[in-house]
Amino acid sequence: MKIQIVLSGVGGQGLISNGEIMGQAASIFEEGLFATMTAAYGSETRGTFTKTDVIISDQPIGYPNVDEPDVILCLAQVAYDRYVDKFHDNTKIFYDTEMVEPAEGAKGEHIGYDFRAMSIELGDMRTANTIALGVMLKHCALRPDAVKQAIASRFEGKDKVIAINHKALDLGLSL
Amino acid sequence: MATYKDYMLFDKLPHTWCAGCGDGIILQSIAAVFAEMELDKHDITLVSGIGCFGRVDDYLDINCMHVTHGRALAAATGVALGNPELNVLVTMGDGDGTTIGGNHLIHCARRNIDLTAIIANNYNYGQTGGQYSGTTPTDSITSTSPYGHIEQNFDICKLAEAAGASYVARSTAYNPVQMRKLIRGGMEHKGFALIEVMVACPTHYGRYNRQGEAADMMKLMNEQSVPVEKARTMTEEELEGRIVTGLLVDKDREDYYTKYKKIIDAQNMDK
Amino acid sequence: MSKSVKKFIEGNNAIVDGAIAAGARFYAGYPISPSSEIAEGAAKELPRHGGVYIQMEDEISSMAALLGASLAGKKSFTATSGPGFSLMQENLGLGIMSEIPTVIFDVQRSGPSTGAATKPAQADIMQARYGVHGDHSIIALSPSSVQDCYDLSIVAFNLAEKYRTPVLFMTDEVIGHLRETVTEVEPDPSQIFNRVQPGEDVTQAEFRPYSFSSNMPAPMPAVGGRLLMRTTGSTHDEKGEFGPGPANIDRVTHYLTDKIEKNVDDITITRSYQLEDAEVAFITFGCSVRSTMTAVDILRAKGVKAGMLQLVTIWPMPEKAIRAVLSKVETVVVPEMNLGQLAGEVRKFNDYGCKVIQANRTDGVLITPKQILDRLEEK
Repeated sequence: MKIQIVLSGVGGQGLISNGEIMGQAASIFEEGLFATMTAAYGSETRGTFTKTDVIISDQPIGYPNVDEPDVILCLAQVAYDRYVDKFHDNTKIFYDTEMVEPAEGAKGEHIGYDFRAMSIELGDMRTANTIALGVMLKHCALRPDAVKQAIASRFEGKDKVIAINHKALDLGLSL
Repeated sequence: MATYKDYMLFDKLPHTWCAGCGDGIILQSIAAVFAEMELDKHDITLVSGIGCFGRVDDYLDINCMHVTHGRALAAATGVALGNPELNVLVTMGDGDGTTIGGNHLIHCARRNIDLTAIIANNYNYGQTGGQYSGTTPTDSITSTSPYGHIEQNFDICKLAEAAGASYVARSTAYNPVQMRKLIRGGMEHKGFALIEVMVACPTHYGRYNRQGEAADMMKLMNEQSVPVEKARTMTEEELEGRIVTGLLVDKDREDYYTKYKKIIDAQNMDK
Repeated sequence: MSKSVKKFIEGNNAIVDGAIAAGARFYAGYPISPSSEIAEGAAKELPRHGGVYIQMEDEISSMAALLGASLAGKKSFTATSGPGFSLMQENLGLGIMSEIPTVIFDVQRSGPSTGAATKPAQADIMQARYGVHGDHSIIALSPSSVQDCYDLSIVAFNLAEKYRTPVLFMTDEVIGHLRETVTEVEPDPSQIFNRVQPGEDVTQAEFRPYSFSSNMPAPMPAVGGRLLMRTTGSTHDEKGEFGPGPANIDRVTHYLTDKIEKNVDDITITRSYQLEDAEVAFITFGCSVRSTMTAVDILRAKGVKAGMLQLVTIWPMPEKAIRAVLSKVETVVVPEMNLGQLAGEVRKFNDYGCKVIQANRTDGVLITPKQILDRLEEK
């Protein structure tokens, strides 16, 4: 089992945080899983394209970059456009319906939600990525419980942040 | 009672310095200060660089770290922070301490690392044939300024003071009594102390600039000297070409490690 | 039972954890991409363990301060990249000549000069070996995972202490910023090598800070202890006193080289991946190991008997292991993110008519498994 995941969008959308939570969940709160994560380095400016590659596998991971994702999250058009040619028939594309217009004839299964609007409704715009994470989870070999533990560990000491992210994750899982 | 001899390596004498060079006078003064302060030689570490005065460690029976040209203060920063209990002494010439090592000098002064730096200023690179340094006076002749030196020279003490040194003093090889007092003051000072000592280089600088024999150069040095108390009453024009001697700066300022230790005490998890 | 913690962190973070676990308590450095997380981590963690972090004015002074602190008894380290590594060469030489242990983490980036400051490369391999003027030898390790960053940091400090010499840790931007699973096991005291001390009955008259008679260094007391200690970057005798005679210069030169080269079996570490029955072999190091491992998996899935020799120690070169591969297979591919620095070394040992193919990438992007496989097909 090896799942290649890309989290893409623009700087400031919390993609690195998402990747770290997934990686922590896999390596610390699951048994027998390996994870790697590489992030765009040197160009993390708010508002410009950025991406994070996450690989989750039951075997040690060699090459850590993702060229053809199995699962991809696109939170911005610029990110979608950059990857659309890499989609294969089994790629699961999660996107924000308000930010991304899917290309006609693009391969893969497109699953769109208005993550941003949902996060505003939830009370914190910064949780859009966590809602998306909840939606993606069943395709990433991670148990919700492991991800919740990872969230709690990453935001240790910030109880409010943990609570709202848990809520956002649950919302995503319910969709 | 300890004497300077207790800190010297006599089997290494005679020293390599030229006849008339002032470096030997500083060497004896340093050893004498150790004796006056009754220091345990094991608690002293001398860090020296490259140049005539960098060779001073050859003759001292203490811990010695002889490093690369210009880097003595940087290495000494590591020694002083590695073991804050040590008395760290740094010996450099004007090339070593202020020219190639000028950046380290200002930063060491700014950080107020607890050590004592002695810079022997002979206005040129004596060990390698008398080339010009950062302290070579304008218009001087050296082996690399055969038509006269066009650069402005550093005033080492003003440089150190501006950089934040908490103890700055100047003396001359003509006046070992004063020199000894100022070196001792520097060693007793908690924080960065700099003592500039003017020394004659009759072999190169003196010869190129027709300043006569070593004795003539020493006399000239004495004539040029003005105690700092008197200098304060003199105009800038009057001080032109004079050597202001004495204790120039003496400030209480917490040294680097004392400040850092507070962070360690607050953060330490190893208890 | 040793304490063990599982983490999901960057290679650069694991280096700080490894250094502290190894007993390092002093850091002097100058921040530079892509190594700065090591400086930031050291600044945060060292005071928590009673250690000191200082940011120096440049990499020249950083190296000098490391040696000073080490002589004062602290295990010291720094991190740098490209231009900073160049500036460190001067006092790296001082450390080699004075025989003062310290560890330098070079997170390699694309060069020369500023180059592409945030992009990975593995092009400092020859600088690591020959960047210091004058004959000498050097120990250099190269990690290929975050786990290595932790484990090998401890190895690096142990080697530095054992051989009384600066040790280079040649990581790269890929491994530095790669986050992955790491299990940090706190080493048992028996797994930590601390520099040998003179016997308690050794008198000052008997004590010698240097020894050139065997291929192991003399004991090294810290300054401030019972014995006066004398170190110098000038060619010296056993007492640490100036020794510029021709016979002594020759003796010291040979000693500084032999100390490393004659202990190559003790120093070098290699790893084999699917090498036992391999007919095609890859020899590589650092981040390129990751892509090569995947390339081997792809070949094996196709039924090609491929394997990989990973050089964990890159200096001294693990000659025996390289020869063992060259003598066994017909084709060796050397993937690396430079124009063939390791390939040249591999060819030096190729007395077996083995075909040595280079797989190089120098555009600041991690070499891919496909690029490595393409080179093999082109043969």
